[in-house]
Order: sequence, then C-alpha cells, then structure tokens
Amino acid sequence: MILHTAIVKAEEEKISLEKAKELILSQKNGAESIFVGRVRDENSGKKVIAVTYDIHEQAVIKSFQSICNDAKNKFDKSANIFLEHAKGYVPVGEISILIAVSSGHRDEAFKICRYILEEIKHKSPIWKKEHYTEGNEEWLPGHSLRPKEEIK
Amino acid sequence: MKIKLKLYGSSKMLSDKEILNIELPNNSNIESLRSTLRKIISEKHLKNSLENLPKTAAFFSDADEIVNDNYKLKNKELISMIPPIGGG
Repeated sequence: MILHTAIVKAEEEKISLEKAKELILSQKNGAESIFVGRVRDENSGKKVIAVTYDIHEQAVIKSFQSICNDAKNKFDKSANIFLEHAKGYVPVGEISILIAVSSGHRDEAFKICRYILEEIKHKSPIWKKEHYTEGNEEWLPGHSLRPKEEIK
Repeated sequence: MKIKLKLYGSSKMLSDKEILNIELPNNSNIESLRSTLRKIISEKHLKNSLENLPKTAAFFSDADEIVNDNYKLKNKELISMIPPIGGG
C-alpha cells in the first residue's frame, strides 16, 4: 500500500502526471482514477493569468495524511494514493493539484478520488490569489475553519 | 503582552512581512485578538477587503491546532491566522 502526499514549490518543480501513474501502479489494483486540477483562464468573468497558492505547510501535510487514511479506511484499505498540491505562483494551464488512486475496483477508485478532493477544500489550509490580465489581483473567498458555534 | 501573528491568505494584506507583531493587554484571549484585529483593519483602511476577516478567521496554536475564543494567549506566543480556506 502506497500513500504519497507532498507540497510542490511551483517555482522549482512541476507536478508530474507520469510520476503519479508510476507510483500507484499495482498488479492487485485493477482500477485507476486520476484527478488533475489546472489553473483556468477565467473566473467570474475575469481573465486570469495565474494563481498564487499560499499554504500552511505543516497543517496541510497533516490534513493530507489524515484525509487519505480516512479515505482508505472508508473505501479500500489496499488503495494506493498519490496526492500533490502546488505552492506559489502557478500560471494558467499548469497543474495545481493531482490526485491519483489505484484500487481493486472502479467504484472505490472514483469514490476515493472525489472524497479526497472535497475534504481538502473543507479541511486543508490552502488559499488562492488570482492574478488578472489587467494587472490586479484578488484573494478568493473560502470556507471558514472557525468553529460554527462561535460565529455570531 | 506581545504576540506574533503569522499571516496566511488574505490576512497577508495586513503587512508586507510574514509575521505581524501585535501588542495586547495582559491575559488576552483569542476574542481580544479579534477585537484588536478589527481596529488594525480599520486603521489601515482595509475594511473594504478585510472587514469580515476577524469574524471568519480561525487561529492555530504553535501545535497547528485550532484554538477557540477562550484560549489564553501567552506572551511572545506564535499564532497562525487562518482565513477561510479554498484549495484544489
């Protein structure tokens, strides 16, 4: 069983689809599901040229490990998982997140991939700043981690 | 007392540096820190961008755990400011 999680400094390295495919490969696992998230060139009518990802590294790695272990326990303990997220300035078209899963069967592979992505969006301290063609930039809104009972 | 506030995401608009040193009354807790942040945001004329931040942000202790509003801050403690998240 393989579980690989990492934060990749975008200015130094690119997230590799080939590396992910190689890492999850297993003769015991007949299904593979891969999610590739890339920076797109438009958001809410604004032309985007890049996104800067800010990351609380220690907390994100902890959350990645916890989310992936939860996914394995929930769906398939024999699954192999590769999860990398970019940090720093990522131009349009480049990979910001890559989740690759191999599992015994297709249903579990799809479910693990989806589960990891949704959990990251709600649990991992990552922030996006979009850069626009006009030269301006904006931090995007997100999901608050403050305990709900405290928000009045 | 003084604390060091490590800035992430939109809270980076509060300073050019990664860490903001904040002066607080002795025995302050996270709730007092939220009040002080409201004043800082107002003084820096950032209400248009950051008005909701003191309400919606969470705070991490040095152990990377969320601390609640009653958490008593210690002198020179390092706290991380965690604005609403949205990776992927």
